[in-house]
Amino acid sequence: MESTPRVSHQNGGGGTIAEPPVTADSLARAVADVWSECLGGREVAPEDDFFAVGGSSLSGIKIIDRLAEDYGVRLSVRAFYLAQTPTRVAELIEQGRAAA
Amino acid sequence: MRLTPGPDRDIDLDTVNLFDLDLYTAGDPHTVWNAMRAKAPLHHQVLPGGREFWSVTRYEDVCRVLGDHREFTSERGTVPTHLGTDDVAAGKLLTSTDPPRHTQVRRAIGAKLTARAVATWQDRIRQAIVGFLEPALDGEVFDLAERALLLPAMITGPLLGIPEKDWAELVQLTAMVTAPSDRHFCHGSEDATLAIAHHELLSYVTEWVKQRRASGEADGSVLDHLVNATAGDAPLTDEEIALDGYSILLGANVTTPHTVSGTVQALIEHPEQFARAQADESLIPNLVEEGLRWTSAATNFMRYAVDDIEIGGGTIPARGAVVAWIGSANRDELQFPDPHVFDIARNGAKRQVAFGFGPHFCIGAPLARMSLRIYFEELLRRFSSLEFAGEPEHLRSFFIAGMTHLPIVARKR
Ligand code: HEM
Repeated sequence: MESTPRVSHQNGGGGTIAEPPVTADSLARAVADVWSECLGGREVAPEDDFFAVGGSSLSGIKIIDRLAEDYGVRLSVRAFYLAQTPTRVAELIEQGRAAA
Repeated sequence: MRLTPGPDRDIDLDTVNLFDLDLYTAGDPHTVWNAMRAKAPLHHQVLPGGREFWSVTRYEDVCRVLGDHREFTSERGTVPTHLGTDDVAAGKLLTSTDPPRHTQVRRAIGAKLTARAVATWQDRIRQAIVGFLEPALDGEVFDLAERALLLPAMITGPLLGIPEKDWAELVQLTAMVTAPSDRHFCHGSEDATLAIAHHELLSYVTEWVKQRRASGEADGSVLDHLVNATAGDAPLTDEEIALDGYSILLGANVTTPHTVSGTVQALIEHPEQFARAQADESLIPNLVEEGLRWTSAATNFMRYAVDDIEIGGGTIPARGAVVAWIGSANRDELQFPDPHVFDIARNGAKRQVAFGFGPHFCIGAPLARMSLRIYFEELLRRFSSLEFAGEPEHLRSFFIAGMTHLPIVARKR
């Protein structure tokens, strides 16, 4: 199984909320990296479809937890699966932060 | 799906698509299975996109595929909706585990679901069923299939440990799992619908367990038992608890309602049998068995061949997926003479395999049997006749045979 290099978000598991990435693109990239990690290291691009890259409810549970830890936004289960790509999930995170 | 087949037709088994959902909403699957049992007892199909599976349709072959884990493993998934994707819960979820681990976990969970254990719930179940039938007494149109979706929650909610406020939501979620592209249950794509439902059901059980542990309360329910059970010499892991809790909720919710509506439909089609059962309550247990055979609510379960395996006059290659069509096995003329005749006094109705066969034989069967028996006792005591009040609508699923609507009118006795 190939592994992708981990990028950017500086939350080394310390539980603090990461600095918001500067652009929407980099947030989408960071979300793709979290997916990659929760999907056993397989490569994920910002426009990839969650189910096409092997996503399931068990990986979804891990991803939603991780994103809540990293970004302080707990996504609704339905919104997460209906969004289906890292880019659209990044938009949900942005919306969640704006509303906070 | 349609339970009384039309006349046999010429069917091209090389091109038939067993996963075509329209076959189950508008077609006639039994005529297809009749042809398969007669001409292609081992059938092979390649789906658009390349996934492929084999099918067995004869009683004997269905029992062998479901029952022999050394030839056919459950550990790569058992639900054809997920064909081709290895089960992420393999070895952790009871249904996706082979012996010997399966035997340990099953023993631990099963203690609460034996015939003797569920008999103590008899009176409470009867009360729930009387409450369910109450609204039909006023003689207005009663959509049995729609309402029956809530019946298992009413019957088994307290037994499983699920508070009433959560029933409607859980019923919706379990229905999404069984028919993710039915217009009644779909959210976005089929994949999304399935993932949402799995996720929310697993989270529900996880949350339930967390609260129980925090409060230290115990209510003797099945979920409670799961939290405290030991398999081998260790407690179940949290993941096993969540997955098995999910599986029990699913098993309890999605099959019994369709058995109820399909059997009532058959009784309306055969008023003489309705009258016969009403005149002689001792026929009810056999009526229940015939209803289970007739409706076969779990249409199929899947296994994967461990090796090249010869069966049904052909060979399933190692690692091939094989679907065991329970709905067909229960209409095999070698086991059930005049198989497409609904007969509440049928000899040997009890040989039906609606609950599966072998080590994974439905763990909820005693509960389902008792609930169905009480349901028909109360129905026959209360109503002098039943009539259709509109067309049935069939569930869009090749995995669960059922209806989403069955409008009826009942006359009080
Ligand atoms: C009419 C009602 C029901 C029908 C037709 C039905 C059908 C089935 C079938 C065919 C299987 C075998 C699966 C396989 O071989 O892989 C099964 C297993 C199972 N059922 Fe049911 N079921 C019913 C009711 C219930 C109820 C009420 C419960 C829960 C209390 C339940 C829980 C389960 C569980 C947990 C399994 C897995 C057992 C194992 O893998 O060892 N079912 N059911």
